[in-house]
Amino acid sequence: MVDLSVQIGSLQLKNPIMTASGTFGYGTEYMQYFDVNKLGGIITKTVTLEERPGNPLPRIAETTAGMLNSIGLANVGMERFIKEKLPELESLNTAVIVNIAGNTIDEYQETAARIQKHKRVDAIEVNVSCPNVERGGLAFGSDAAITNRVTQKIRTETEKVIIVKLTPNVTDICSIARAAADGGADAVSLINTVLGMGIDVKTRKPLIGRVVGGLSGPAIKPIALARVFQVSQAVSIPVIGLGGIMNGLDAAEFMMAGAAAVQVGTLNFIDPAGALRVVNELKSYCEKNQIENVSTLTGSMEKPT
Amino acid sequence: MLHCEVEKVTYSCIISEHVKISGDIFSMTLNAAEIAEAARPGQFLQVRVSTSIDPLLRRPFSIHRINRKKGQIMLLYRVIGKGTAILAQKVVGEEVDVMGPLGNGFSIQKPFNHALIVAGGMGSAPVFFLMDELRSMGKNISFLWGAKTGCEIFSIDELKQTDINLLLATEDGTLGETGFVTDCLQRYLEDFNPSEVMGFVCGPAAMIYTVQKMALETSFEWQVSVEERMACGVGVCMGCAVPISTNDFKLVCKDGPVFDLKEIVCHG
Repeated sequence: MVDLSVQIGSLQLKNPIMTASGTFGYGTEYMQYFDVNKLGGIITKTVTLEERPGNPLPRIAETTAGMLNSIGLANVGMERFIKEKLPELESLNTAVIVNIAGNTIDEYQETAARIQKHKRVDAIEVNVSCPNVERGGLAFGSDAAITNRVTQKIRTETEKVIIVKLTPNVTDICSIARAAADGGADAVSLINTVLGMGIDVKTRKPLIGRVVGGLSGPAIKPIALARVFQVSQAVSIPVIGLGGIMNGLDAAEFMMAGAAAVQVGTLNFIDPAGALRVVNELKSYCEKNQIENVSTLTGSMEKPT
Repeated sequence: MLHCEVEKVTYSCIISEHVKISGDIFSMTLNAAEIAEAARPGQFLQVRVSTSIDPLLRRPFSIHRINRKKGQIMLLYRVIGKGTAILAQKVVGEEVDVMGPLGNGFSIQKPFNHALIVAGGMGSAPVFFLMDELRSMGKNISFLWGAKTGCEIFSIDELKQTDINLLLATEDGTLGETGFVTDCLQRYLEDFNPSEVMGFVCGPAAMIYTVQKMALETSFEWQVSVEERMACGVGVCMGCAVPISTNDFKLVCKDGPVFDLKEIVCHG
């Protein structure tokens, strides 16, 4: 019997597989397709203080083994999230993590304050890495001092587990990760999407309306693995890995690189129960390889001598 | 066959027929009893054309027709890119991973006697299923079908055997009237009482834009089936937004793909 549980700060997950923000709605949409209680946790799409309509069209485009998106944090806003979406998550028997963002440091703090009152919310993931918004997002997450300040401000509001989600679109991701850890983060998750673009050469139009968007999917997996490896060497808090995970072996690979847990993102769009398949495949991998505790996979890559 | 632990959503369907209609247009018939049973006109399917990671995403296709007795569904598609090129290579007996039926179909329970259906190019795909259902309900149908050229128009013999009032128009004049099918629409509208007619339109953006302009000048009610790039197909990724005002969107996959034509913002 494999013990699949992992620990993220004070939060224990029944297994290391979570669904990445922006790819699993508010957690309620996929309930009709499979038993989401079998996942380690669900992470909601980003919720901001005010409702946001999102970016102009087109918002998505397929690229080689990946997809570009520029959704622009379209969401119902914190008030409606709490009133309309959160009650549906009450009955879940898995970790509920709410992802938040804001235009200003104060907005991040206020958003965290609003959600932290709700017992059902097990952790807060802080999006300082969205490439598709004018303010907040990546602009904050590419600056170590601001990342530190945002994390500190949220820490003053909540005892809940804080996960800071990092962008790979920086020169030194480790310094940003350290800034989050120093600011009181319990964990960091990485990577958010990689800046990317494409042009339709027939029409000379950009593939997405805002020209530059975020690349996700298997195309970015090697980039994500390298970042997870580097950050896990640089900070002592748990690292949650994501970027192109399509199956259980990908999940194992991220853990070996240093991830304590992982998130499944783009796969949800292709295979609505894909995250559950990843759980089952990771379990089979452990069984076949006589691994009793999945947590022992973390950082277990054999380093070249 | 239902995939393990997934309810009512993805099916591995065997191709029972795959026909090249003309040029780059194909029809594919799939054994999919559950989908055929549940499907309503205007709904769509998300098809995974390959198990590889490139192409990565599913492709949305309208349900072209269904045969509930045989438990079959039909797709109509044009080869336009990597995904449809792969689909076109598939042979009878192969399996295709299909998710659906998805989205909201046409509202056909409303009190109207006459359906005025306008389709352009591949916009004809969902319209055949719609006409099959409307005929079984005993509704009168006028079908105005426009295309660039005559070989993009098919099933004419079958349509002519029905009581559907058929009007064809091609831009190059190789079949039916020469020009846009929307040019003929105006004179049709003059003959009808808006309270008895329901309009349906599906086609390229320019056609929808033209019909919307006419719709806004009259009291006819119109339903439009909209196409947009999408990833998830179930309202999660928010990729397939359609503007309903300058700063508000609806999702094609979840709120549509059928909308009130007067509600959405169109561009010509």
